Amino acid sequence: MRELTADALGAYLGRRFPEWRDIRIEGFHRLPMGASRETFRFDLGYETDGHPREELEVILRRDPPASNVDSDRRHEYEAYRAIHGHGVPVPRMILLEENPDELGGAISLAEDIRGYHNSEYQVQQPEWAGRLPRLAQGMWSAMGTLAAVPVEQLDLSFTRPATRENTARQELEYWVASLDRSDVGPEPIIRAAIRQLERWQPVAEKLALVHGDFRAGNFLYDDAGNVRAVLDWEMAHCGDPLEDLAWSMARVFSFGKNNMRSGLAPREDAIRIWEAASGLTADARALAWWELFTCIKGQAIWNACAHVWESNAGREIIHAYASWWLHNAQDKAVLELMDRL
Amino acid sequence: MKPTVPMVATELANRLRTDIMAELTGFRANDAAMGAQLLDMIAERWDSEAANLVAENRAFRALVLRAAEELGDAQAAQSASGDDEDLRISSLERENDRLREALIRVHTLAEQTDGEAPRALTDAIWDALRQSVEARRVGSANF
Repeated sequence: MRELTADALGAYLGRRFPEWRDIRIEGFHRLPMGASRETFRFDLGYETDGHPREELEVILRRDPPASNVDSDRRHEYEAYRAIHGHGVPVPRMILLEENPDELGGAISLAEDIRGYHNSEYQVQQPEWAGRLPRLAQGMWSAMGTLAAVPVEQLDLSFTRPATRENTARQELEYWVASLDRSDVGPEPIIRAAIRQLERWQPVAEKLALVHGDFRAGNFLYDDAGNVRAVLDWEMAHCGDPLEDLAWSMARVFSFGKNNMRSGLAPREDAIRIWEAASGLTADARALAWWELFTCIKGQAIWNACAHVWESNAGREIIHAYASWWLHNAQDKAVLELMDRL
Repeated sequence: MKPTVPMVATELANRLRTDIMAELTGFRANDAAMGAQLLDMIAERWDSEAANLVAENRAFRALVLRAAEELGDAQAAQSASGDDEDLRISSLERENDRLREALIRVHTLAEQTDGEAPRALTDAIWDALRQSVEARRVGSANF
């Protein structure tokens, strides 16, 4: 893949915005964030006639040629734009460039909210133990707030349409198709889970913009443990808000290697906070369905990571790591949820 | 190979963490950290991988054969043949994949069949799958 440099980016911005003069890009470097997209941070400065010089702190995300997530730049860009201003803290989008010839892949630029943390491992350190309740409150409250936003107020034209009745079946079919595309070997445990999920699907209490990857590690927090911004919306879609709650409580995201979901709070606390913020009820049978579903979605993503290597489409270390580290734990989660552990 | 592969992989992982990572920042430091974890997993699995696959293949073969007999399924009988004469990991994994495919088929068939014997077979398949997950457990995994 073509190396992305500050010079190339500066030249592109000069072509895209001919009115910008004295464009300066400083501190351009890649961040260790995520398995699906490349993320870079830099400072941007430029001048235009009749205005004071602009100085911005910017995040650039670029689509790689091979990813573990089947989603493009426009999808995440539009998801951020859709939810911005509706009570869930997110960075402001600045620019979308979908022509991959410009910079070696489609890119988006966004406001960089600096000075905060986003490490799911940092909060497992003993000095953070006292701040976990606040982090849990912030995370599942933001998720509940997202669930409560009326979808009629959002422009969700970027994603697949859904109804309360069909979203569970639709999401299951979507991720089973992903599993089939990234076939890295027959999986009796996952196939048994799929058979169970196909026998019955819940009807959503309401439709919502579902983040799709809402868990510790995908939001910014401050030193006191307050959630400051929710990131990584590339799997956002219209659906059942219970999907986000289920995903956030997945065993593979129990970063403290204990019963604390997302490494932050017990399952009961997560549900209680989410229900209070959303005004919805986490129906036990429906939530159980979505929790088992998250195992299908998770395994599809980890298998896609392996498939990137096996098909010679890419050689990112994180793809090999995610597949080796998560695959068996995901199978074990199925065993637990199907009472077979 | 002496020193053994687990010994060397563990030491390389430790050096990556203690010496190399200290010289790196950001994305490269993260790659080094994950590289160290991958080496840990190689060290953990190297010695037991072939033995685990042989044991798993033996258990799966027996279940597929049992399904052939109890469910009267001729295709399962055919799938239960095969052996683990070739002990290369790639060969054992190919045989494991073949048997897992057969196991999915008989598992589905047993679920769809009424009776005590199919229920007991279903339980036995789940037991074998649980043992497989235990044998394949990654020490650093969250769950």
